[in-house]
Amino acid sequence: MDMVTIGSITEAPGAAGAALPEAPTAVVGAAGAGDTAPPRAPAARTVDAVKVYGRGEAEVRALDGVTVDFEAGHFTAVMGPSGSGKSTLLHAVAGLDGLTSGRVFVGDTDLGTLGERRLTRLRRDRIGFVFQQFNLIPTLTALENIVLPLRLAGRRPDPVWVGEVVSRFGLDGRTGHRPPELSGGQQQRVAVARALANRPEIVLADEPTGNLDSRRGAEILSFLRQAVRELDQTVVMVTHDPVAASYADRAVFLADGRIVDELRDPTSDSVLDAMRVLGG
Amino acid sequence: MFRLTVQSVWARRGRFLLTAAAVVLGVAFMAGTSVLTGTLRRAYDGIATTNLAATDAVVRAAGSVDGDAGRVRGTLDASLVDVVRRVDGVAAADGSVSAGARLVGRDGKLADGGAHQAVPIGMAWLPTAELNPLRLVAGRAPRAGTEVVIDRASARDAGFGPGDRVTVRTSSGAARYTVSGVATFGSDDDAGGAGVVAFAPAAAARILGVPGRVDAVRVAAAPGVSQAEVARRVGSALAAGGRHRAAEVVTGRAAVEEELGTGTSGVPFMEALLPVFALVALFVGAFVIYNAFSITGAQRVRETAVLRAVGASRGQVRRTVLVEAGILGAVASVAGAALGVALAHGLAALLRAFGVELPGGPMVVGARPLAVAAATGTVVTVVAAYLPARRASKVAPVAAMRDVAVDRTGGSIRRAALGAVLTGLGVVASVSGARAGAAGPVGIGALALFAGVVALGPVVAPRFIRAAGRPLAGLRGVAGELARENAARNPRRTAATASALTLGVALVVLISVFAASARVSMDANIDRNLRSDWIITPLQHQDGLGPAVAETVDALPETGSVTTFRYVPARLDGATVSVAGIDPERVEQHLDVGARAGSVRALGATGIGVGHRVATERGLRVGDRVTLRFAETGARSFEVEVVYDLSSDPLGDFVVSQEAFEANASHINDQVVFATTAPGVGEREARTAIERALRATPTARLHSPDEFKSVVAGRIEQLLNLVYVLLFLAVVISLFGIANALALAIVERRREIGLLRAVGMERGQVRAGIRWEAVLVALLGTVAGTALGLGFAWAMVTALAGEGIDRLAVPGTRLVLVGAVGLVGAVVAAALPARRAARLEVLRALTT
Ligand SMILES: Nc1ncnc2c1ncn2[C@@H]1O[C@H](COP(=O)(O)OP(=O)(O)OP(=O)(O)O)[C@@H](O)[C@H]1O
Ligand SMILES: [Mg+2]
Repeated sequence: MDMVTIGSITEAPGAAGAALPEAPTAVVGAAGAGDTAPPRAPAARTVDAVKVYGRGEAEVRALDGVTVDFEAGHFTAVMGPSGSGKSTLLHAVAGLDGLTSGRVFVGDTDLGTLGERRLTRLRRDRIGFVFQQFNLIPTLTALENIVLPLRLAGRRPDPVWVGEVVSRFGLDGRTGHRPPELSGGQQQRVAVARALANRPEIVLADEPTGNLDSRRGAEILSFLRQAVRELDQTVVMVTHDPVAASYADRAVFLADGRIVDELRDPTSDSVLDAMRVLGG
Repeated sequence: MFRLTVQSVWARRGRFLLTAAAVVLGVAFMAGTSVLTGTLRRAYDGIATTNLAATDAVVRAAGSVDGDAGRVRGTLDASLVDVVRRVDGVAAADGSVSAGARLVGRDGKLADGGAHQAVPIGMAWLPTAELNPLRLVAGRAPRAGTEVVIDRASARDAGFGPGDRVTVRTSSGAARYTVSGVATFGSDDDAGGAGVVAFAPAAAARILGVPGRVDAVRVAAAPGVSQAEVARRVGSALAAGGRHRAAEVVTGRAAVEEELGTGTSGVPFMEALLPVFALVALFVGAFVIYNAFSITGAQRVRETAVLRAVGASRGQVRRTVLVEAGILGAVASVAGAALGVALAHGLAALLRAFGVELPGGPMVVGARPLAVAAATGTVVTVVAAYLPARRASKVAPVAAMRDVAVDRTGGSIRRAALGAVLTGLGVVASVSGARAGAAGPVGIGALALFAGVVALGPVVAPRFIRAAGRPLAGLRGVAGELARENAARNPRRTAATASALTLGVALVVLISVFAASARVSMDANIDRNLRSDWIITPLQHQDGLGPAVAETVDALPETGSVTTFRYVPARLDGATVSVAGIDPERVEQHLDVGARAGSVRALGATGIGVGHRVATERGLRVGDRVTLRFAETGARSFEVEVVYDLSSDPLGDFVVSQEAFEANASHINDQVVFATTAPGVGEREARTAIERALRATPTARLHSPDEFKSVVAGRIEQLLNLVYVLLFLAVVISLFGIANALALAIVERRREIGLLRAVGMERGQVRAGIRWEAVLVALLGTVAGTALGLGFAWAMVTALAGEGIDRLAVPGTRLVLVGAVGLVGAVVAAALPARRAARLEVLRALTT
């Protein structure tokens, strides 16, 4: 069932660099949950996650009992109308924000049991995060930004691996530039490279293509897709865009803080249909 | 617009707090110093006013010379008192005499004998009550020469009363007296902190001055005769008697006027130095303000651009910032002025702790000094905010669209050129001034150099910080690297922040090196030129050493040669010079004077010796004539007999024989006595003998050359410490500047910090990064300050080579300590901003 061709994707990631495939037309999930593979433990999951902002009249239930697994080696898209709690969910999984009740696990680690310092280390060592914008430290070069989590951990970046990431992302010759000297698309590529550079257990991306034109967006999505396929990377991405969602193995739909629907191997059409049904 | 601005200041009051603190401190220091100096002046003026309260006219010697230690005036023949008394319209006239006199306590020690106490006043008891500032509160006036009246404070402190036998020490020696009465000075218990001893009128001249001579004649007018009238009548009577050349008459009011404002000479640096430190503090504060407004301006680029986009003119934007600065400056300055009153008490306590005697009594808080300080603070704030305001007004409306960019400006060619030119001019002026021994060009050069360094700051700062921060990145990893990049990212800000520290550090280094050089030079001078074994000096300059000191020490079999030095100011071609009286026969047994031409021995009654440097300056050679004008005797011509090298203490630039000295300054006592140990006598033996001989003169101090060195060194050190404390405030303000710049930068970098935390930077790493950033900025300021300070010190020492300071000594440990204070201070200053940055909530920082 997962041997599905995403034929509907027409935008080809053109200028993405030599190391890239022409288009994400290949099969997805090849290295992931194949038919014969035993079921793997999810890379992260939430159990009855509730997040309440404010009190009384102003109370907002951003998450209202979300239980979801993010399978290892899978690319999951999180969708839903604005204000449905997508970012809140991602932040909770990333250990950026605590829950009001319920539990979040990354691997076997219950984030609720971690103190501030261990949460920070978890973000640094086990999670890669890509924000919609402002992902890079303006005083550091592209390369320095990419290896930032590694350096923060006091680890020497493996030059072979870093070199590979850099060239995969078509950033050769750009590594010495600082963010203001890079285009928006390049900046997002650097951000994704950073999220992948320390080989995290899970990459969380909150609308990573939201600020890019469709061509640049497709580029980023290809990279993420490729990372899942070739590196067995787990990726969770929030998006509004059915086309973006079609790069994923699975789409999860949120509304008013609850999971309301789920699609396996979404295409942009199936996503659009689901959104229509949900009144998006 | 104004209300809008007020609201915006109020809304941002948190951010303005540290900026305001810099203004508050600067203004407080300024207000505090002027309140204190005002109070002191008032106290000293009070002495003058009380002293001449009901005196209608004063007859005094016409000639006067203003020396380092105050005005020196000649004396009058005592017979003049009777002449004045007979003038029509004069109700009464008394001859006044005054000089230092110290009461010896029951324990044999000086009753108020600290080295820095106000020098007690000895005076003649004036029989006419209205001419006499003293009011008897017990006993009666002194009649016999063996009787004295003492002030109530001394009587109380030493436990003396009428009928008690006391010892009083004057420059003519110590003697036993009977206390005949106790008096107040006006309505005070003493004269502004100084004790008073009044002697019988007939004996006063003999005890305090020269027999048969008085300092002045005080006149009380007959009823109905005005001050001007009585002065005029006395004046014409003197003219008629042919006495007009020696004496002059002024009204009592005029005499008081003259005294006002001159009385603080006891603590001259109070008047001269404190305002300098206040200015330094304000100047440093100006850098902090400039910086704060630059940063807030940069943060509000978007807001400003929106304002511009909706049609605000450049002028309006500029005015908004200036009005903001005005409001901030005014509020902070008023707070500073208020704090200044408290600070005045603190300063007084500080000075007392450093041994500077100040008159007691309440602080006189005048509205004027406070208003002046507050106004200065406001103006300085607005002026410092002007450049940032101008820059803000240049924001293009499209800037509204841009994100906060990294401002790398600062390295403009124009700035680099201007800085280089100023620095070059400064160096050239300082070096050539130093070589020529001219302090003026050195000072101007120093100013130009500092301005040049400030201008070059933004060009140099990023380079310096990148270089200095290189090892940091290896040592501290990313936190160090980020610290380095953040410190270098805004060259102008970093340079301005560092400049504030540069000034403080430069002054501290300058003064430290200068003091060390003075000390080393003096030591070397003593080692090189002193042949004598013993040095005797008075407790204070005003005490002098009576003739008895040299005589009794000379009479000791344990001493060999004894020689004396005394000093009088004189006018030479419009300048005041100090002339030393020496013993031509003996001086070379004690000192290597380094005669270049002629001989000291040739100094007779009309000979003069001139120091080599002054001789070269004035083109004087042996055989030339020099005319000096003395207060007592007027113009006197001397022939140059010797040109010598040793123009530092105790000779100075001009020497005459004791004989010539006494002919022109009869009542001036020895200031220094040198003695050698007699052959075959041990050092300890000689010391015991001399100390015994000096027991009658408790104001005399005996030193071996080494002890003398350490006494002078101690005095230099004490002054140095006081200066450190005063400069410390400037350093504190500049550290506030660092804290302020960091706090503002953190507001600006919220999102960055949030991002760093999101990708795994620990709180400790955030704090370390900010700490190291502060250290790098402080390092820049400290290194620049040290370099400037060393340069200035070299220039000053070179310029003053002729005045006895001829060796440059760099107190290494102390300079390292200064640097450490700067760096540790920076870490402390960074603590709060660092804490705040580390506590930022990750998501909130990222999204808002
Ligand atoms: N810090 C906060 N304080 C109060 N309410 C918040 C806060 N953060 C989010 N919310 C509320 O929680 C709800 C979910 O927000 P969230 O950002 O997760 O939505 P989202 O699905 O990511 O929306 P979008 O697609 O617009 O990014 C919204 O109603 C939002 O207003
Ligand atoms: Mg969102």
